[in-house]
Amino acid sequence: MKSLKWIQAIALMLMVVMIVAACGNKSGGSDKEAAVKITLLNSKGEIQSQLEDAAKAFKEDNPNITVEIIPVPSGQSPFEKASALYASGNPATITMLDTGDVEKFKDRVLDLSGEKWMADTVDRSTALTTFDGKNYAFPLAIEGYGFIYNKAVVDQAVGGTFDPASINTTNALEQLFQKIEASGKAPLIISPMDWSLGAHYLPLAYAGQSADTEAVAKFVNYLKAGTVDLASNNVFNGLLDTFDVMTKYNIDKASPLSGTYERGPEVLGKGEVGIWFQGNWAWPQISSFDTANGQYGFLPVPISNNPSDFGNTQISSAVSKRLVLDKEKNTAEQQAAGKKFLEWMVYSEKGQDFLVNKANIIPAFKNITLEAKDPLAKSISEYIANGKTEDSMSTLPADHWAKIGASMQKYLAGAGDRAVLTKEIQEYWKTVK
Amino acid sequence: MITEKGLWNRLRLRLLFTGPTLFAFLAVMIIPFLYGIYLTFTNWDGISTSSSMVGFDNYLSVFKDTVFWKTFLLTLEYVFISVVLINIVAFLLAYILTSGLKGQSIFRAGFFIPNLVGGIVLGFVWQFIFSNVIVFVGKEMSIPLFSNSWLADPTKAFWAMIIVTVWQYAGYMMVIYVAGLMNVPKDILEAASIDGASLWTKMRKMTLPLMVPSFIVCIFLSLQRCFMVYDLNISLTKGGPFKSTEMVSMHVYEKAFLSRDYGVGQAEAFVLFLLVATITIAQVYFSKKLEVEA
Repeated sequence: MKSLKWIQAIALMLMVVMIVAACGNKSGGSDKEAAVKITLLNSKGEIQSQLEDAAKAFKEDNPNITVEIIPVPSGQSPFEKASALYASGNPATITMLDTGDVEKFKDRVLDLSGEKWMADTVDRSTALTTFDGKNYAFPLAIEGYGFIYNKAVVDQAVGGTFDPASINTTNALEQLFQKIEASGKAPLIISPMDWSLGAHYLPLAYAGQSADTEAVAKFVNYLKAGTVDLASNNVFNGLLDTFDVMTKYNIDKASPLSGTYERGPEVLGKGEVGIWFQGNWAWPQISSFDTANGQYGFLPVPISNNPSDFGNTQISSAVSKRLVLDKEKNTAEQQAAGKKFLEWMVYSEKGQDFLVNKANIIPAFKNITLEAKDPLAKSISEYIANGKTEDSMSTLPADHWAKIGASMQKYLAGAGDRAVLTKEIQEYWKTVK
Repeated sequence: MITEKGLWNRLRLRLLFTGPTLFAFLAVMIIPFLYGIYLTFTNWDGISTSSSMVGFDNYLSVFKDTVFWKTFLLTLEYVFISVVLINIVAFLLAYILTSGLKGQSIFRAGFFIPNLVGGIVLGFVWQFIFSNVIVFVGKEMSIPLFSNSWLADPTKAFWAMIIVTVWQYAGYMMVIYVAGLMNVPKDILEAASIDGASLWTKMRKMTLPLMVPSFIVCIFLSLQRCFMVYDLNISLTKGGPFKSTEMVSMHVYEKAFLSRDYGVGQAEAFVLFLLVATITIAQVYFSKKLEVEA
């Protein structure tokens, strides 16, 4: 009996030691004095493994800094995960946020205005994260969207080499659809996800109001105030006219809402359809079905029949992901290490290689001259280089995509006409605080 | 123990046994619950470092939020149909599988398995079935009912949710009914047979009244689970098409985390809690009166 008591006592002690040791992980690794461990919350799921490789490459250059990449679980929004980490007092050193969320975190993250890379950022890439003259976020990736075309299919349809610049009006687009149909293929696929329709397609109506971003911001404010009459707005109606044309030639028009995201890259890549409305992030999925030798590109979404109208030749693009550095719970060393990682991505060869070649990111820095390998990023980069871009709406209210996406689905399925859609959009904006 | 003198002495011993559980219960249930109620009086957005008290404004918004009440009514409809179907299917399964069928324990295990699969996985599996398998079969055999995805049509998507729910919970409730059926005393059933009672009479006059406790438990469990449905909702239909199958839990979640309106979201959650608690307590209270002794 006595020995049993001993065992119990030892077991208890072991447990206590283990618990204490587990709680005290911050003091671990004390043999290397300068070792710093930082964390990066990644909300761009498709580049998780590339980021992990980048962390290893970064460690080769900076042996005393370990970067751990934490993924945001699929289905959770970056904001949700980041705010949960803050609520538990354990925020990541570097957090990847969507542009519109940065403002909410501005009291908790570092002012990055004094960083070296600020001088090399492309135009307007930090404007949306600058508050009171201070920039709080690192622009990580530019993303763009529009009509992705499969060159093999459209070449065959037009009988020769397809010129993307020829599609600059709704009528021209419809003629292209007719030609594709005549060649025996389906013209296009509309993926009916609420985020695609609500966060990408419909916001073109706001962004297309004017080439001047100030005027667009004003338009959004008028929407909130309820003083915009969308029913008589030309850009809005033009965009929906194009949508009506799209609906007419949609491969899934018998049951427009049954499609899934995965179906889009499959039918486009296999050449069953000529065109898909989506963005450059879809390349990894398209490439796994590719039958056009990697020949794809973007067409703008036309909003009228006048080729010179703004939006008819411009592709929608913007910085979509930003990195912020926590200043509340991370030590000064960790913050410095975080800054070093950002600089490493912009200025080191390995960092640039990671951004452009490994992660297929379109960087927002002028000094990076590496050419994108993937055709979609390349196409977007060309539009940017030619100044043919329209800023995507990246600071819309957080529930805009879900609410407006549902209204757009209703319109797509024919369960509500344009008057219903217009009313729902205007009603939605009135509820925005 | 009872003989021990002094309040502290008695309390000490009780705390030794119930203390750890009590602590866990307080820490993960009661305190968050109370903190949640506190949040309903603020306008916190989930991340900002400051927030202010707004009194009963959030509760006022709950009553003005027509979508909340619309989703609540839809949930009621869903709960009613599901609970009825779950219990009918579960009872029939239990009845068949206690009648001495060959290999009945294998069937019992088989029907129980869906309950072991989590709601999220289940939703994805059925999403594949509804939007790929059924559509494929429907097109091949040209059955119009199946040739388009059920999930793309508001009414059919609603029924798709019910089918999956019934499939998921019927096995679980079946186990409870099996236990209930086996506890019906054989001697009185035998005596009734000798008196010439038919199968239907035995069922109506003896088995069903004696099974009331099982019905109470099963209806309570299925009520409560169906009211709180979220995982299946998000993974099977995502509330779609166009929000037509959005259940009330999902709406509350989206209010708090998507629209970033913690206060109103919490208030809606609290109102929902009160409504569901009222309904389930009433159910248990009234059906307790139906219990009989053999």
